Amino acid sequence: MRRYYIALLSLFLLVFQGMAMSLLPANLVYSDLLITPHWVLVLLLLTAIFYDREDTYVAVVYAIIFGLLIDVVYTGILGVYMITYTLIAYTIFRMNKWLVSNFLGTFLLVVIGIVLADTMLYMVYSFVQVTEMTWGEYALFRLLPTLAANMIFFVVLYPLVKGKLEKWSSER
Amino acid sequence: MPSLFRRKRLMIVLMGFIILVVLIGFSIRDRDNLSTPEKFLQDTVGWMQTIIQQPLSFVENTSNNVQNMFQVYEQNQVLRERLSEYKGVIEDNQRLEGENQELRETIGKTEALSDYSPIQATVIARSSDRWFEQMTINRGEEHGVEKDMAVMTSDGLIGKIKSAGAFHSTVQLLSGFDQSSKISSWVVREDDDEAFGLIEGYDTKSGRLLLEGIKLDETIEEGDTVVSSGLGGVFPSNLRIGTVEEVENDQFGLTKTAYVEPFADLFDINHVMVVERTMETVDNSTMNEGDGS
Repeated sequence: MRRYYIALLSLFLLVFQGMAMSLLPANLVYSDLLITPHWVLVLLLLTAIFYDREDTYVAVVYAIIFGLLIDVVYTGILGVYMITYTLIAYTIFRMNKWLVSNFLGTFLLVVIGIVLADTMLYMVYSFVQVTEMTWGEYALFRLLPTLAANMIFFVVLYPLVKGKLEKWSSER
Repeated sequence: MPSLFRRKRLMIVLMGFIILVVLIGFSIRDRDNLSTPEKFLQDTVGWMQTIIQQPLSFVENTSNNVQNMFQVYEQNQVLRERLSEYKGVIEDNQRLEGENQELRETIGKTEALSDYSPIQATVIARSSDRWFEQMTINRGEEHGVEKDMAVMTSDGLIGKIKSAGAFHSTVQLLSGFDQSSKISSWVVREDDDEAFGLIEGYDTKSGRLLLEGIKLDETIEEGDTVVSSGLGGVFPSNLRIGTVEEVENDQFGLTKTAYVEPFADLFDINHVMVVERTMETVDNSTMNEGDGS
């Protein structure tokens, strides 16, 4: 039952991801830096780290669902976010064993997750010619700002959901 | 059984890759309509956004109103000065319009390419991925919105409808235009006839539109206005697009290319108008504004 709360929260973040782009002040969101929110991914990674046990795949299943939803609602090219988020959620879920689940360990895992996810998106999108950026431009104007912005979001989200996720995980 | 498990994992990765390729292939081609599940999802998320947006936009509007109140006096002063000028312009305009209509009636042609009926809409979200210059508005097929219609603000053209759901639709902004979305347009000059050209994409580095295919012998100056010609089949004519900033010969030296600065602010958009052409649209995909191939 608890896992539906996570789904609800993901859906809420997904809806807000697009609204933030039109509500936040234009000079912040639309500078030369291409800041892209990956809020749903951050929540899914936290789910993979704190909620999932050895034999449950809640984060991976949600990554498929909400990745596809992002594709439909925000980009129109199906499958890209879906596969990327799924793969990253699974990778982080597996890597979780190697690191301690404290703030720093989680921080590191989320950084790895976001960098991998955004790079993968760049590779797929440049392959289908959605973007024509070079690797250098991409790293400077998109990857770093995106990483910074999402880590700020992570720092805000972490204390809010960590306790809840652990509680829900033990209540099952 | 580690080997079986490893094989299963390999299978899943391969399946995922195949699904990715199939889905991209399915969605990247120029589709006329969204599939029903996509429309359903888009509308569902759209409604949630609309509900959340109501209180937020109320707060935003209130703060804007308060800010505006402080400037009312100065604005009033400026506007009063302009008012007398406008009276003359209005009279002129009315006279010309009447004359125009009379002339049209004498030649038996009542509809003009420039006639359109606007559908008012509010922007409820923008794509979270900045590589996709598109946004969602709260009007869809039920309100008369169709694919490829022009979308504008009071300043000028901002884009066209990329796909229409039942109650929400996606707008492709000018900044996301590529080779496949062309707008046939006119450069309006002071002392000469209009020069014809095609808007064929957007230069992301300088943030300007590319107006290509202008004849070599046309002289175009900086500051000339670019409007849509309506000859593409879907857009009405005389929609304001932008001003010419720079002209150069194209790479083969056969035509000229002008860089056009759009009138409208493509970032800070709240209310838009979807423009439905009154005159019959040409529903031929080769003539379509959306794909001029």
